[in-house]
Amino acid sequence: MIKKKKLIIIPAYNEQGGIERTVRDILTNAPDFDYVIINDCSTDNTLKVCEKNRFHVINLPVNLGIGGSVQTGYVYAWRNGYDIAVQFDGDGQHNAKYLNAMADKLIKDGLDMVIGSRYIEKEGFQSSGIRRIGIRYFTALIRWLTGKKITDPTSGMRMAGRDVIELYAKNYPKDYPEPESVTVILKKGKKVDELPVIMNAREEGVSSISPRKSVYYMIKVSLAVLLAAVRG
Amino acid sequence: MSLKIQIIIAVLVVLALVFIANLVRKEALDIKFALPWITVGAVVLLLDLFPGIMNSLVRLLGIELPVNMMFFFGFCFTLLLLFSLTVKVSRQSGQLKRLVQEVALLQEQSDRKNKACEDGFLEYKN
Repeated sequence: MIKKKKLIIIPAYNEQGGIERTVRDILTNAPDFDYVIINDCSTDNTLKVCEKNRFHVINLPVNLGIGGSVQTGYVYAWRNGYDIAVQFDGDGQHNAKYLNAMADKLIKDGLDMVIGSRYIEKEGFQSSGIRRIGIRYFTALIRWLTGKKITDPTSGMRMAGRDVIELYAKNYPKDYPEPESVTVILKKGKKVDELPVIMNAREEGVSSISPRKSVYYMIKVSLAVLLAAVRG
Repeated sequence: MSLKIQIIIAVLVVLALVFIANLVRKEALDIKFALPWITVGAVVLLLDLFPGIMNSLVRLLGIELPVNMMFFFGFCFTLLLLFSLTVKVSRQSGQLKRLVQEVALLQEQSDRKNKACEDGFLEYKN
């Protein structure tokens, strides 16, 4: 079998405390993967830390938010001929030891996307109760619209094949992209499945979704998911 | 409408139009974007100088007071303009995102080349 080119996309906004550990985790536990950090115009020392360690960085000159950052990674993956690209948080929530298993599953099962899910084995960090309710709601909504049960639709640990890389390079939601982007590809008939993973509680940085924003988040993402389903 | 207020309105509108024209002349404002405002100015000036137009319009539409009509149309125009601006902002944020991504990707490419050159140079030196 021809060796697949695999890229890890690490969106990083103010991750000076977690980025070194994240890259070291990747170099140790997923050495077959290339990686690229997308520094989303961090206001802390993320860029300095990366430069000091000679990490591979794409530095956004203007803050684009999570969607624009991740999409930059997909564009990079598309143009540089990567067969597989995986999103991976820069704050230590994700564990690189699962990446090989995810890639194996993607290839062996002929999938277009594999999502690392916290809610299959229900081990490790499970997020707070109220958030879990929100996540279950999106699982139900996506299941209703696409027929596919995604247990962890907000997981930021997701691996995409070449087709999905192209789709995302062309078009990716700007903010709170996870539930919407998976709905888009499900509606296009892409095959998505999940792999149980254990995630860690966030050690560095803060969640992008504050309580105040969560109402807006629910409404905006619901509409976006509905719209994605209607567009087909 | 008294002659006094007619004159005041006319002067204000003309001043605004001169201000807009001056911005266009200095290329601080595109004609394309000035045009809606020039049109508004022209319409207001027309209605101000010929109050008869407004009176017959009011009667035609069955509106009680001319001022109500002015408020109604003014509000409609403002909404329309605001909405068209929202559409533009939305489109431009998409364009801006693409530009930022392209700049970042180009920067990465040139960094990579520079680094490769540096490393090659060091290897050559050693």
